[in-house]
Amino acid sequence: MSPGASLAVLTLAPLFAGLLSLTTRTKRAMEWLQGALVVVLLVAMGLIVGHVASGDDAVVGHLLRADALAAFMILMLATVGGTGLIYALGYMGEELARGHLEQTRYRFFFFLLNLYLGAMLLATTLDNIALMWIAVEGSTLAAALLVGFERTKAALEAGWKYIILSFIGIALALFGTVLVYYASERVLGVSMEALSWSALRLVAPALDPTTLKLAFVFVLIGYGTKAGVAPMHTWLPDAHAEAPTPMSAMLSGLMLNIALYAVLRLKNIVDQAAGADFTAPIVIGLGLLSIAVSAVFMLIQRDYKRLFAYSSIEHVGIALVGFGVGGPAGVFGGFFHMLNHALAKSTAFYAAGLVLLRHGHKVTERVTGLLRHEPATGGGMLVATIALAGMPPFGLFISEVLIVTAAYQQRPWLAAVLLGLLALAFATLLAQVLPMILGEPHDDGQRVSVPTRRFTTSALIVNIIALGSLGFSMPDFLRELFIPMIALFGADVAVEIP
Amino acid sequence: MTGITPAMVPADLGSQLVNLCSMMLLVTSFAIVAQRRLSACVDLFAVQSVFLAVTAALVAFLTGIHHIYVAAGLTILIKAVIIPLILKRVIERLNVQREVAFVINIPPSLLICGALVILAFSVTEPVASIGFLLTKDSLAIALAIVLIGFFTMIARKKAVTQVVGFLMVENGLFLGAAAAAYGMPLIVELGVFFDVLVAGLIIGIYTHRLQDAFDSVDVSKLTGLKE
Repeated sequence: MSPGASLAVLTLAPLFAGLLSLTTRTKRAMEWLQGALVVVLLVAMGLIVGHVASGDDAVVGHLLRADALAAFMILMLATVGGTGLIYALGYMGEELARGHLEQTRYRFFFFLLNLYLGAMLLATTLDNIALMWIAVEGSTLAAALLVGFERTKAALEAGWKYIILSFIGIALALFGTVLVYYASERVLGVSMEALSWSALRLVAPALDPTTLKLAFVFVLIGYGTKAGVAPMHTWLPDAHAEAPTPMSAMLSGLMLNIALYAVLRLKNIVDQAAGADFTAPIVIGLGLLSIAVSAVFMLIQRDYKRLFAYSSIEHVGIALVGFGVGGPAGVFGGFFHMLNHALAKSTAFYAAGLVLLRHGHKVTERVTGLLRHEPATGGGMLVATIALAGMPPFGLFISEVLIVTAAYQQRPWLAAVLLGLLALAFATLLAQVLPMILGEPHDDGQRVSVPTRRFTTSALIVNIIALGSLGFSMPDFLRELFIPMIALFGADVAVEIP
Repeated sequence: MTGITPAMVPADLGSQLVNLCSMMLLVTSFAIVAQRRLSACVDLFAVQSVFLAVTAALVAFLTGIHHIYVAAGLTILIKAVIIPLILKRVIERLNVQREVAFVINIPPSLLICGALVILAFSVTEPVASIGFLLTKDSLAIALAIVLIGFFTMIARKKAVTQVVGFLMVENGLFLGAAAAAYGMPLIVELGVFFDVLVAGLIIGIYTHRLQDAFDSVDVSKLTGLKE
């Protein structure tokens, strides 16, 4: 299959599978359908990544384009999205088997989840700022129904807050997008081309810097709201805690990264037009604020899903600081952080979902002895927590060290502040999660059935293998993607990647 | 408009007409903020959408970029007819009390909105110079409407008023796109319209579910989730 065809298949398969989901009659049929989708996604992703890693963009007309950055996002979306779908088969299948969910709602859940995944894949591959906005808005709409899916009072409240805040955010992002168009049509003319990322990047130095600066502020606040950047993060803990757990994993592991991706694409253009001195302080400031806010709120958290939600805000903040500081180490650190966080946080949520299925509540202190009681869940949560806390041998340790180093080279005080906040977040996360994992279990709960376990455990294992291997070695194809990605952000130094 | 060609309209008259129409959008925004009755808010939103469509049609006529007519037509159909009808039915079915519930009262609300307009003009002032002569002030007006829409979402308690606020924001964005940048390409506009329509539907679904679960659409009662 040609790279262009793979790209088309990759973006259309989830939409197609979503529609087919509505027609499935049995649980078994749904499992085959979603399984087939995962295979298609992974194969198409492999072809695209292989092609882009060899130095060429994958293109479909003027519409879809996968450069190194998009291929990296596709890699993340297909991998975490794939394990997410497998996990969802187990989790929602268990809800169905227990009678908490009707067959029609079960079908509807997968319909929405596939649309959501498809919209995110489209958002990363569309070579057009406005069409990308439409795709991101599409993912927001699907997510809005998924957050409130369980229809409890808490879920509806979380869903309503999510809708209002993310619509405000996304509206600001559209205003920013209009401003970019306002600046670019002076140079490229009133045409589709004036909205194309690849064309914009080429003419960036000729664009009006004042307009782009203003556009960046709108886009950063707008997409930043979707990325859960403080102080626009208030919807995030509610949504992550109340959404069905497979969705929490995808919100945290994928959607935050898509929003960051949109900000980074524009930052790339603004930096060329107006110099990096404008965007860096804003991005670093919001990053630090996010880490500080999340560290404090993790300390007082009593709900384990909310705890992991706040931890996501922290990690988005760390990545932002990396991109703000810039340079090869900062940019590489930021991207490597995004990838490892997506893997680690989805693992954490997969485990948290199993705890929720077993105990039926989300109170941290009432859960103990996971490791003894349920080795797969406890082990998964332990590995994820160690990784999220930034301990070696995981990739998040490497990226955090790189970002702190890059920060120290530029502004030593920044490295000190960053390290202090990271230490606080590290301690609170471990102090909160370790008691859940260790000790004696004292509540038996309702055991999860074997068919469920088959799906959930395989999702956990795949994630843990990916997470663990990234900590020890960098695969060649990933190295081939990182080099052009870093070059995209203006770091002309050839980087030595571990 | 038969017989009149864009060349027959002097440039400054054209730009004054566009400015007049965009100003009317701003005036209706203020009227919505000053409104006590829920159904009147919805009516005023429909009126605002008509002004938006007229502005877009003027820009299309004066510039000869014909696809903006499509956007104008869709605005009339969706925002001036379909969405107001849906909202009115929601108001009837939910039997919402007639009064709009306030977080901030009307007089201070109007003052704040006035300040937001000044803010919008000062924020966009440095970039206005690169704009087209025809629509020089529209970007500032568009931003002002967006900000007033946000304010309405924050300062009013009922879910329906928040929806009207959200739709005002969308109108502001459309004014920004249609006037200040002479319209986005057609496929983009269609996509945005589709999104707005689906967003409206989803908000409608949520309002129903909130009513069922909480027996109210007063979103100030949504306080279960907090630290």
